[in-house]
Amino acid sequence: MSLERKDDHDHKGWMKERDLTPVESVYLTVLMWLDKRLRIVDYLEILEDLYYKVNMQMPKSHTEQYNLDNKFWYWYPLYALGSFSTIAYVVASVSGALLGFYYSPAAAGASGSPTVAYEQITFIMTDLNLGFFLRSLHRWSAQVMVAAVFLHMLRVYFTGAYKEPRELNWIIGIVLISLTMVFGYTGYLLPWDQLAFWAGQIGVEMALSVPVAGEWAAQLVFGGFTLTHATLQRMYILHVFFLPFIATTVIAIHIGIVWMQGIAEPH
Amino acid sequence: MADDPNSDVNGNGRRDVAVPMELYKSITVFSTLLAVVFVLLAFVMFDAATLGRSFVRGVVRDAFGVVGLSVGGQPLTIAFALVGFAFLVTGSGIYILGSRFRATEMGNAKHEAGEE
Repeated sequence: MSLERKDDHDHKGWMKERDLTPVESVYLTVLMWLDKRLRIVDYLEILEDLYYKVNMQMPKSHTEQYNLDNKFWYWYPLYALGSFSTIAYVVASVSGALLGFYYSPAAAGASGSPTVAYEQITFIMTDLNLGFFLRSLHRWSAQVMVAAVFLHMLRVYFTGAYKEPRELNWIIGIVLISLTMVFGYTGYLLPWDQLAFWAGQIGVEMALSVPVAGEWAAQLVFGGFTLTHATLQRMYILHVFFLPFIATTVIAIHIGIVWMQGIAEPH
Repeated sequence: MADDPNSDVNGNGRRDVAVPMELYKSITVFSTLLAVVFVLLAFVMFDAATLGRSFVRGVVRDAFGVVGLSVGGQPLTIAFALVGFAFLVTGSGIYILGSRFRATEMGNAKHEAGEE
């Protein structure tokens, strides 16, 4: 449709032959004057046309075709959990990048004083403008992401969305939920307070409990069998350098595959 | 008016004017738009009447100051409130007036009940 005016309706002549009250004539004249100049109606008609054309190309979904919407509608909100996880990830990335300007991963404090890492957390929470807000945002978005990713996995499982041809994306999703949890764990250790330290201790001991590869894994991930500055340094670089690149790439692939394959019909 | 087949008073006692579809679209779009704008302006005026640090109130007060007049807070409040109500009534009026027009194709409940 073009914006070329169609054959002009003779409004004036039409109005004369009608029996309109003076108020109505003025009203219509004003609106027609505006219409001739602003032409909003024409643009709205283009949008309307576009809307119908777009919808005509959409095949009927499985639920529409077999009239299952009345049985299945309560699942639909849960189809938002993947987007919800992504939004939480973006929020965590932005707030984390900002926190990175103030945090410092040093476990060494002067004798008898708290570590630099812990002091920086205290600084962010008590002295920094909006620091409390920033750290809370980072923490909450991280928690929300873990929860949303888990619920997203349940939704995919119970609607059968993992089935052929989407097995590959299901496997990638399992990698992603693992990456999310490693993200959570490494971030959990960064404040280097009592909670973090003993969570780290548990991690080292879990690694050491693994036969054959345990000691090697503990060395690799924690930088030794006891928690030292090396542990904090590794957690930090995993959290702010390794995982962001890996997770962002895998998320992009995961979403790209969903984009190519389309949303799965419920099974 | 009752002898015009296209405009009459229908069962609810409401006047009803049939217009061409193209005109009906203009009426719907522009009357709604104008009504929204007027109601929004009305609320801006209510803000100006009740909020000391309102932008509009400040501008008007300064404008009076430029010409050497100082207006008390009370008259300004009353003026803004009255203008606000006027805008509100105008907006509603535009919308209500727009609702009496219908397109010829649309039919109306009383005369063409079997249509569709």
